[in-house]
Amino acid sequence: MASLFHRSKQRRAERAPVTAHGNINLVPLVDTLTSIVFFSLLTYQGETMMALTSFDLSLPPVVVTTPQQASQVKSEKDVLNLLLAVRVSNDELDVEHSGNGGFRQAIKGLDAAALGTLQALMTQIRQQYPQNKDVLVIPSDDVAYDNIIHVLERLRLAGFTGISLGTRARGGPAAAGPAR
Amino acid sequence: MRAARRAAQFAKFRITELNLVPLVDTLVSIVFFALTTATVGELSPVVPGVRLPEAHVGAAALQQLTLGIGPQVTLGGRPIMSTLDAARAPSNDPTQPLLIPPLYAAMRVAADSIRRADRIAFGQPLDVPLAIQGDKSMRYDLLARMMQTARLAGFRNLSLQVSKQEGPVDSTAAATGAR
Repeated sequence: MASLFHRSKQRRAERAPVTAHGNINLVPLVDTLTSIVFFSLLTYQGETMMALTSFDLSLPPVVVTTPQQASQVKSEKDVLNLLLAVRVSNDELDVEHSGNGGFRQAIKGLDAAALGTLQALMTQIRQQYPQNKDVLVIPSDDVAYDNIIHVLERLRLAGFTGISLGTRARGGPAAAGPAR
Repeated sequence: MRAARRAAQFAKFRITELNLVPLVDTLVSIVFFALTTATVGELSPVVPGVRLPEAHVGAAALQQLTLGIGPQVTLGGRPIMSTLDAARAPSNDPTQPLLIPPLYAAMRVAADSIRRADRIAFGQPLDVPLAIQGDKSMRYDLLARMMQTARLAGFRNLSLQVSKQEGPVDSTAAATGAR
């Protein structure tokens, strides 16, 4: 059983203001922060979410062959004045465009050096035709997705914002194995 | 006399001090969760089991309906079929040889659900983007089939989500590589 002294001391302590003697009661703050840290650690996914980036794809350009299709073109800005394509295979990159009566350049390989050359060439084309921001990428069937992303990355660095992925005409299903 | 008594009564209710500690605690919690959700709340998570390619540039990857292509093909986190089956699945439409029928059915359900919610006429293409998170070893012919199936289901805006790599791009431009 508590003595009279202890009981009166306890009552005084209960009645004492929070800021008595210049002190602030930090216990509730510490409790709240502990809860925040606990649930943050429990639900943390920030690293994996922040680590993502995206490439938005445009639809490939449509070649107008009939008067009906031509009538559907709404304005002059919908018409491409330069057809620019990059063909990607496992051993070569081919850059083609329709400017100046046609242009074609092949870049051997698909390594960092070849990608650097591609970026330099595409930057040059971008400066030559500043109104054109669109490029069509046509990978071969057996090219790995990783390599396609590296090509898209270099095109983005060269200043092309309208990037579309095209496919070659084919009839059968896709191969099941991984890319080489 | 009456006024003095009234003043004495009100004096009992005079606030001599205000405990601000609970207010500070609450504000700390609000500020913390506001900052957390403002920075990472709308960003997209990675589909489990997918080894994403890496890139240095690109836009922020926002939370979208996601097509995951790892060992399994998943749509919005729900497994649809194995990737092997998807690659081998023949099209049931002679005019669309790239179509993957089971994936198309699942995508049509998702697309129709979005159309109903946004009050868009059935058959109209959607402006809502579809994010694709594919394994880096995947061949392009499989990705092409997935993209074509998505477009036939109504998703005309596709976004390829990859891992962001920090640091500068290796810009070794070898002029000897060009011929």
